[in-house]
Amino acid sequence: MVNYIIRRLLMVPLLLFGVTVLIFLMLQVLSPVERSALYVRDIPRNERVLEGIIKRYGLDQPVHIQYWKWLMGTIDPQTGDRQGGILRGEFGYSRTASQPVAEMLARRFPASLELALLAVIPVIAGGILLGVVGAVNHNKPLDQFVRIFGIVGWSFPDFVFGLLLLMLFYANLGWFPPGRISDWANQIVQSPEFHNYTQLITIDSLLNLRFDIFWDALRHLIMPVITLAYLWWALTLRVTRSSMLETLRQDYITTARAKGLSERTVIRRHALPNGLMPVITLGGNTVVGLLSGVVIVETVYNYPGIGSAAADAAVNLDVITVLAFVLLNGFILVMANLIVDILYAYIDPRVRLD
Amino acid sequence: MAVGIDLGKPTSQHLLEVRDLTTRFYTEDGVVHAVNGISYTLDEGETLGVVGESGCGKSVHALSMMRLIPIPPGKIEKGEVIFKGRDLLKLSEEEMRHIRGAEIAMIFQDPMTSLNPVLTIGFQITESLQLHQGMDKAQSRERALELLDMVGIPEAALRLDDYPHQFSGGMRQRAMIAMGLSCNPSILIADEPTTALDVTIQAQIVDLVKRLQDKLGMTVIWITHDLGVVAGMADRVNVMYAGSIIETGPVKYIYGDPHHPYTLGLLGSLPNPEGSMGVRLYSIPGEPPDLVGMPKGCPFAPRCTFKVERCLHEMPMLEEIEPGHLAACWEKDRVRRV
Ligand SMILES: Nc1ncnc2c1ncn2[C@@H]1O[C@H](COP(=O)(O)OP(=O)(O)OP(=O)(O)O)[C@@H](O)[C@H]1O
Ligand SMILES: [Mg+2]
Repeated sequence: MVNYIIRRLLMVPLLLFGVTVLIFLMLQVLSPVERSALYVRDIPRNERVLEGIIKRYGLDQPVHIQYWKWLMGTIDPQTGDRQGGILRGEFGYSRTASQPVAEMLARRFPASLELALLAVIPVIAGGILLGVVGAVNHNKPLDQFVRIFGIVGWSFPDFVFGLLLLMLFYANLGWFPPGRISDWANQIVQSPEFHNYTQLITIDSLLNLRFDIFWDALRHLIMPVITLAYLWWALTLRVTRSSMLETLRQDYITTARAKGLSERTVIRRHALPNGLMPVITLGGNTVVGLLSGVVIVETVYNYPGIGSAAADAAVNLDVITVLAFVLLNGFILVMANLIVDILYAYIDPRVRLD
Repeated sequence: MAVGIDLGKPTSQHLLEVRDLTTRFYTEDGVVHAVNGISYTLDEGETLGVVGESGCGKSVHALSMMRLIPIPPGKIEKGEVIFKGRDLLKLSEEEMRHIRGAEIAMIFQDPMTSLNPVLTIGFQITESLQLHQGMDKAQSRERALELLDMVGIPEAALRLDDYPHQFSGGMRQRAMIAMGLSCNPSILIADEPTTALDVTIQAQIVDLVKRLQDKLGMTVIWITHDLGVVAGMADRVNVMYAGSIIETGPVKYIYGDPHHPYTLGLLGSLPNPEGSMGVRLYSIPGEPPDLVGMPKGCPFAPRCTFKVERCLHEMPMLEEIEPGHLAACWEKDRVRRV
């Protein structure tokens, strides 16, 4: 197992190398003028200044040198400071956010993380739990209920679902506010007495014993979370149910029952580890889906996370910012894959011992 | 044949007595008549062979006794399975669990699929021991080791923590047998345990079970579609066709003096032991019937070379030919081994 994890970890730099090369090649499509925004705060209007920048940062140099500089940054010949370099966390200046990309990410990432983490709860509780319950009670009323639930969830396109929620609860009922937090609460959160342990407002507010703020944050989150989670929840439900049904038909389940084990033990010990394998794979896809989901959901609900910033950047052709998102996505995907593979190996000795 | 004359009262002098066991599956394609009122008895230390072509209800009959058929779509319509004086079909699920694995153990056809791929062999054996014998971890491991040793797995101590995929097919079936025997069951039901294995391995497994049976004195129900395997090990044979027992008797009668054309057919498809050239006498033409919506009359009639008008309308009952030897055929007196 340890061997397997080490081997798998060694793959990570390789994958990340691939991701960066890919992104860098995309970057080459841009003109040197546009690329200069990696190093300066805005696209300069004056052409002479521009040429100076292109020269200074080697934007006219061969591709591999530029790649290296893009990764590591360059020494400013005048001040001797190292500038740029995505490995140093310097992603350039975001035109749309009017601040360096790194700062923008640091501020907005926790908001998206909070959204995504909360969305995972219904996926697991609603999807996996209901799926297992449905399969175990196959063809009984409970299973029929689960099945209808899943089909309805699955057959709605998610933007339609989001818009329906929006119309009903925002426009007609006005129950839930847009954004991440109300102004009054924001003032408290920003104040020095409020400790931001995790940057996740729901958790921090509980740790600060400010239940009013917790409730306010939750009210803001509920609609985006439901919209974001619901497709993956329905999909997880379907996959879990059918995989568990398939597993429960296997011979080794009959063997386990023939031993006299209780049905509970048969399911927990013999069926679940096998039946949840496809769900783990789906879990990897879910991460990918949530990543693209936040772009739509945050835009629709005006939620200040990385998704809405990415949408903003894309609409305004702010390539530097968009590329930072692509890089971030690539990183998250590689990590999600790593976790999926490790979980798989943990459950399945055939993977682990090969 | 039925010894318990006081109808319905679950008493029996036999270790196991099956009465009128009937199991159906209510599927979308119709009602599958998988087991149609079979009755037989089994005494301690006996080996019963259950023989028949694929799909004739051998497995469903065994699974029904263990109450392991999926409900729904399956349903045990009627019958009694009296084991040690208790009707298993009337026990609570909880009581039944103390029978399964502890009193009646079952091993299955395909050792590749009947062991859980994500649990070690050791775990799968010790699990039963901890459940039924109240052993702790160390004790059950000790016993599992003995068992693996007993079924002939070399270097058992090293193999205990292996996973099924690290075992060969024959080894897995040995492990399954070890698992089945772990709690000293009174009855071992072996459902085609050698079908999925190579011929040489098949012989080894048959030998192993015979040896263990002599040593431990268990009762064995050996399910197979191969009369050849049963000949060497069974005391009595039930020949099944379309969910019914169509001939039953001591093994020497079934082989020496069969009285059902189907048994004859099964024997005919054996290699002729005298003609060392391996000549097949003949095989049964046609297909077993669809068990959905059973026709009137003898289910074997469409394939039968002995059939007469009556066979198409009336289902023959098991009738005695000589003590302990029964056949269900209108023309049984005409049927002779060639
Ligand atoms: N779960 C089920 N649902 C519906 N029909 C079933 C089910 N299990 C078994 N059957 C049907 O019951 C009949 C008897 O099947 P069974 O498995 O007992 O045959 P078998 O004699 O053991 O055959 P084999 O030699 O292939 O194992 C078959 O027609 C089969 O299709
Ligand atoms: Mg079978």
